[in-house]
Amino acid sequence: MAINAELAEKLKNEVAVVCCRVEAGTIISASNLEDPGIFPDLEDSGLLTIPETSVKIGEAIGAKLLKTIDSLTPLTPEILEGMKALESEVKNVELDNDNEKAVFKNNMKVGDIITAEDLENPMNFEKLEDSLLIKLDDSVLTRGEVIGKKLSKDTPALTPVTKEVLEGFNIQQSTPAISTGNGGVIKIKIAEGKGIDIEVPIFGLSSTPVVEAKETIKDIVVEEPKKKPEKMVRKLVKRHFNITEVKFGEETKIEGTTLYIRENIHEDAVKVDKLVKNIKVEIITPDKYNTYSETIMDIQPIATKEEGHKLGQGFTRVLDGVIMMVTGTDENGVQIGEFGSSEGILEENIMWNRAGAPDKGDIFIKTEVTIKANTNMERPGPLAAHKASDFITQEIREVLKTLDESLVVNEEEFVQMRRPDKKKIVIVKEIMGQGAMHDNLILPVEPVGILGAKPNVDLGNVPIVCSPLEILDGAIHALTCIGPATKECSRHYFREPLIIEALRDEEVDLCGVVLVGSPQINSEKFYVSERVGMTVEAMDADGAVVTTEGFGNNHIDFASHIEQIGMRGISVVGASFCAVQGALVVGNQYMTHMIDLNKTEAGIENEILSCNTLTHDDGLRILAMLKAAMAGEEVKAPERKWNKDIKENNLQLIEKATNKKITRPDNETSLPMSEKRRKKYS
Amino acid sequence: MIIPLKQHIGAPCTPIVNIGDEVKRGQCIGEPNGLGAKIHASVSGKVVKITEEYIEIEGADLDNKDYMKIKKCDTIAETAYEAGIVGSGGAGFPTHIKLQSEIPDGYIIANCVECEPILNHNIRLLEENPEIVIKGVRYAMEATKAPKGYIAIKEKNKKAVESLRNAIGDKDDVEVKELRDMYPMGEERAIIYEIFGTWLEPTQLPIEAKCVVMNGETLANLTRAVEDLKPVIDKDITIGGKLKSGKESNVFFQMPIGTEINELIEQCGGIDGDFGEIIIGGPYTGKPGDMEKSVVTKTSGGAIVTIPLPEFDGPLGLLVCACGADETRLRDIAGKMKSEVVAVTKCKNLVEVRGINKCLTPGHCPGQVQGIMDLKKSGAKRVLISNCSDCTNTVMACAPKMGVGVYHHTDHIFRTVDHELSRRLPVEE
Repeated sequence: MAINAELAEKLKNEVAVVCCRVEAGTIISASNLEDPGIFPDLEDSGLLTIPETSVKIGEAIGAKLLKTIDSLTPLTPEILEGMKALESEVKNVELDNDNEKAVFKNNMKVGDIITAEDLENPMNFEKLEDSLLIKLDDSVLTRGEVIGKKLSKDTPALTPVTKEVLEGFNIQQSTPAISTGNGGVIKIKIAEGKGIDIEVPIFGLSSTPVVEAKETIKDIVVEEPKKKPEKMVRKLVKRHFNITEVKFGEETKIEGTTLYIRENIHEDAVKVDKLVKNIKVEIITPDKYNTYSETIMDIQPIATKEEGHKLGQGFTRVLDGVIMMVTGTDENGVQIGEFGSSEGILEENIMWNRAGAPDKGDIFIKTEVTIKANTNMERPGPLAAHKASDFITQEIREVLKTLDESLVVNEEEFVQMRRPDKKKIVIVKEIMGQGAMHDNLILPVEPVGILGAKPNVDLGNVPIVCSPLEILDGAIHALTCIGPATKECSRHYFREPLIIEALRDEEVDLCGVVLVGSPQINSEKFYVSERVGMTVEAMDADGAVVTTEGFGNNHIDFASHIEQIGMRGISVVGASFCAVQGALVVGNQYMTHMIDLNKTEAGIENEILSCNTLTHDDGLRILAMLKAAMAGEEVKAPERKWNKDIKENNLQLIEKATNKKITRPDNETSLPMSEKRRKKYS
Repeated sequence: MIIPLKQHIGAPCTPIVNIGDEVKRGQCIGEPNGLGAKIHASVSGKVVKITEEYIEIEGADLDNKDYMKIKKCDTIAETAYEAGIVGSGGAGFPTHIKLQSEIPDGYIIANCVECEPILNHNIRLLEENPEIVIKGVRYAMEATKAPKGYIAIKEKNKKAVESLRNAIGDKDDVEVKELRDMYPMGEERAIIYEIFGTWLEPTQLPIEAKCVVMNGETLANLTRAVEDLKPVIDKDITIGGKLKSGKESNVFFQMPIGTEINELIEQCGGIDGDFGEIIIGGPYTGKPGDMEKSVVTKTSGGAIVTIPLPEFDGPLGLLVCACGADETRLRDIAGKMKSEVVAVTKCKNLVEVRGINKCLTPGHCPGQVQGIMDLKKSGAKRVLISNCSDCTNTVMACAPKMGVGVYHHTDHIFRTVDHELSRRLPVEE
């Protein structure tokens, strides 16, 4: 597809290839040229070979074509008249032979003395490098340096000569030692649009880049003396109560660290909604982790506001050591889940300690809700299951409110600061809301409650601004039923790692969190994403992060949100599970800074609850990427295929730059292998 | 002097001389057995040994270039038969059979495309003696009643093109066609495609496009047979590679058939130090020969002494192509590289016709990505390919992107003589 003039200007250094047949005599304009974004695919499929002599878009535009050429022909100087010169690159002709790199032409044996005859003709270097047969980096010695030297080991032909293979070779001391440890530029890369990848910070190898790197970091980090004072907006304190035992009893109550649940509570819970046909309540202690469960619909904290305190501020009481787990099927036994489900042996299907998952050791109050047949794929069915479960939670909340303060084991303080001197950032969280069954209840009265909350779908999926503390206080009751590995359960929002890291990061000014849904109809998607753009624009943000759960269809919204923010000149980072199975299906020119949330070995949705959700290390990478983006750092072009090393490289660079150790989360390899996983994924 | 009895397509000739016979240079010593061509003594002397494979003559006077003339025939085709002319380009198809065709609305194409790099003798002949080929074209036109002849040659051979044009002058019965410098432009179906724009099926002969395609040297032999009644007893050949005389190719015109390759190499000063292989033929389709046993035949193009093959101690994948080395040859190279072959894939345009690999569209790539991905999946870290220029180009567009290193089976040959490696194509036009 042809590009427009604006894009042509931006892409002036890309290769010019005509998109369609162009007649001799035509003055080349943007409309004649193919979008360079698809070249890799074309090249891969053999449709396009970009010659070394091809001209750049900037050179080609305005030039006259001398002969008629067919579509997908790269433009070359011979067929153009009146090309514009970009910065001319004078090709360095003939170096003195001695200064050329030394590569063995023959298979050499230890003890051989190197002669000129043993060295490959430099004329072939370009092609040999191109073929990945040799790599000529700085460690490769020149012909002048190696002739007459003796080999210290057998070395096959087509090996570049380095000092490691030579006897007693002293490298000249003029090469400055490479310093490590201080500052690296966090360069992140990403693909424009397709193939997601994350990028790698690159360490300057020569002294010059290192200096630049330091300066860059300074730009972002060490700001000028503060002119405007930091301001505390509000504070949220979570008061933790410890539970070590959960039992059924005559009434719901907490005694010490024992939680009693009324043994006939299911009889009342089932009456909450007529779609609920049955509900079974089980107490899963760690010794029962190896039992079967229906698909896990949600993991919820048991928390309540103290009297008179609003969600997102003041005091919240939360039970430690116990969570609510909502599971269910319809009357026909069909799982309430869409793309994959996590039914099976609990310990094989839960990625412990993710923000949205149970922690290992937690006791589960597990509801198994049976809803009316065939309602499992429409919103009312799953909602009914949640309502029935929340009936139980609410009864616990009521007793939690009455507990004596002396039982508090821990207070967790979340402070929302505004830092006017820092770059202002906003977190946009794309949450599900696709008509059929995905929904999220927004802003209930109680943390992760139902009462008072508005369904995202009913709100039209439009962006809603929340304070970061509201999100961390359970502003979202998640009904999402997408793939287990990427879905953000209610507990995820309650412990959202990116928000927590952003609150802690004193180098940025987190102004708010925008929740936006993912409508099912395409025209609505763009209606919604434009509102996101307007919202972020009105916030006057310097940078934004867009995160999403799931993959596939919602990536259309995801890409569109990024575009709407990016086109307003605001730096934007995208974070999503992509890797192999979730590779982006759409893309645009603003999708240049991407973070992949995959944790699995194979880069797939492995149906293990929360496995691929955002973790604290992701949060740090996102923030580092966003700072790089706001500082105008270039990111490297992505590799064509998902490469998990990029993530690790980036983490190491961040560790080096910040001098802090980042804990890497476990993945499915730490769990017992389920039969399903063995069959499906191995 | 060893004269092989099989220097052509078809069964070996039947010797018509006996041990102890005195033979004259030019005398017929072998008769074809069905499809084939006569074989003549290239030297005067005594027959000392006859086997199923060759006749050995103890030469009396090696410097004598005189020869026994063949009998005068009524037709040109018959003359070609008497002279034992076969295609000199490599395949050795008997020329008299081609000349029996009648193509009153067809074409004779002189294949001077010299598709194997390094082998320079055909071009040298055109530069120095274009008439002998042009005349051959005209004799072939006469034999087949073809009204038009083309001389197909690569545009890069400017001097040869010029000398051909000068020799043809104003006449328009024979025309020079300049072709791009691609391998395998000299494949006869590729030439027909370049000139006429249509692909023949691999099973089809050029005659189905009303063409008779003959190698330039074959046509020169036809001229020699018609005008001088000379049988095919001498051969032009190129000797190149790692020689004491240097890397430049050495062209030997009209060397007696049966001359040992070894002797020609010695004439070039001998092999310079360690070597890898002696390739009999060109870089693409040649095969390593036994230096002691290899002799000049009617179809020998040349011999190239190479540097040793580079060692690669890792998993190698092979991509087999009809235009270059076959699987056996690639495995041979892989063995010499000390690599482990983990997978073999065939270009999808490779078809087997009567036991010979043929390409559906020589020089026009059908896409290689799938094959390379398959090799990579099978564990290959690097691939060894044998493709034509266009397919090689496609491989280069994908393999390095997948992190797969690429060897071409011609690398060690080209590296020996500082010839450009076969990799990505430069942009043409």
